[in-house]
Amino acid sequence: MAAPAYPAWVTRWVSGQWRNKKRPPALRPPRTLALADKVANRREQLTEATCITEMSVMMACWKQNDFNDAPCAKEISTFYDCVAKAEKERKNQNEDSLSSRGNLPSSKVNKLLKRFPQITRYV
Amino acid sequence: SSPAALAPCRIMPVRWSRYNPSYLEPEVRKESYQKPLEELTEEEREQAELKAVRPIKAAPPTLSSSVFSDPMISKFTNMMMKSGNKVLARSLMSQTLEAIKRKQLEKYHKAPENEKETIECNPYVIFHQALKNCQPIIGLSNITKGGKTYQVPVPLTDNRKRFLAMKWLITECRENKHRRTMMPEKLSQELLLAFNNEGPVIKKKHVLHKMAEANRAYAHFRWW
Repeated sequence: MAAPAYPAWVTRWVSGQWRNKKRPPALRPPRTLALADKVANRREQLTEATCITEMSVMMACWKQNDFNDAPCAKEISTFYDCVAKAEKERKNQNEDSLSSRGNLPSSKVNKLLKRFPQITRYV
Repeated sequence: SSPAALAPCRIMPVRWSRYNPSYLEPEVRKESYQKPLEELTEEEREQAELKAVRPIKAAPPTLSSSVFSDPMISKFTNMMMKSGNKVLARSLMSQTLEAIKRKQLEKYHKAPENEKETIECNPYVIFHQALKNCQPIIGLSNITKGGKTYQVPVPLTDNRKRFLAMKWLITECRENKHRRTMMPEKLSQELLLAFNNEGPVIKKKHVLHKMAEANRAYAHFRWW
């Protein structure tokens, strides 16, 4: 016969944990067991740095040409274009839309919850 | 009017006052008023209709419709100005431009025939080119991560580049020169050196670029 599967409390009881006064903790102090109108502040996942490849290309060109700007004009212009594009992208992205991970930032969630609070009592 | 007549007037707080958002910016360029009505595009017609109805802000004294006014030169003059002495700053600026012109003309007349075309005599062109040569392309910013501050290479906005170029020029002239040289002389010398990609300001820009290149490993600490 295979080992019979007992529920978890039976195993705990048999092991003698309860006899050593190890009890599960009571809720102390008990907060109201209801949903609050706000979410905890979560640190937003930071986006990565933009235009790093262009920057490294430009710096390689500088290293070869002794930091003169004239021979590196093409790399510099590509870097500027990339920076302008990233800036426009940042301006255009709407904060109300979901972030890359599909979560709203906690500040926005709190604003929404404040507008539609949990009704705790009827008048 | 006598002070007794002004006594009942209350003081109007002005420091944080601002125009109502409905006020429009003044249009200073003469060309925009010389176009006949038919040539305007849709948006320009709408703009003109809006201008007929909305109030317009007062034009600031620095805004001018003259062909001789240059916004970069005005900005540079303002940065040179000390304790509001615009008259002095403006005279120094004009003397600087004159000094540049004189030096270039001297070079022009001494040069042989084949080299005369290469010498640039327009002081405004020299000023703009010198400023452009002095502008840094990438800057460093302090970013704290894990308790330590790192110097991270960061792209700069156009305004910041122009400001840094002008600031470096002015500080260089004020601090690192002989005490008795006049500002126009110092400034014209610095501008001519910067125009030819030489001089201490260009060196400072190169030092900044070298530091950015040395710290390029920290570029990932940026989050924008």
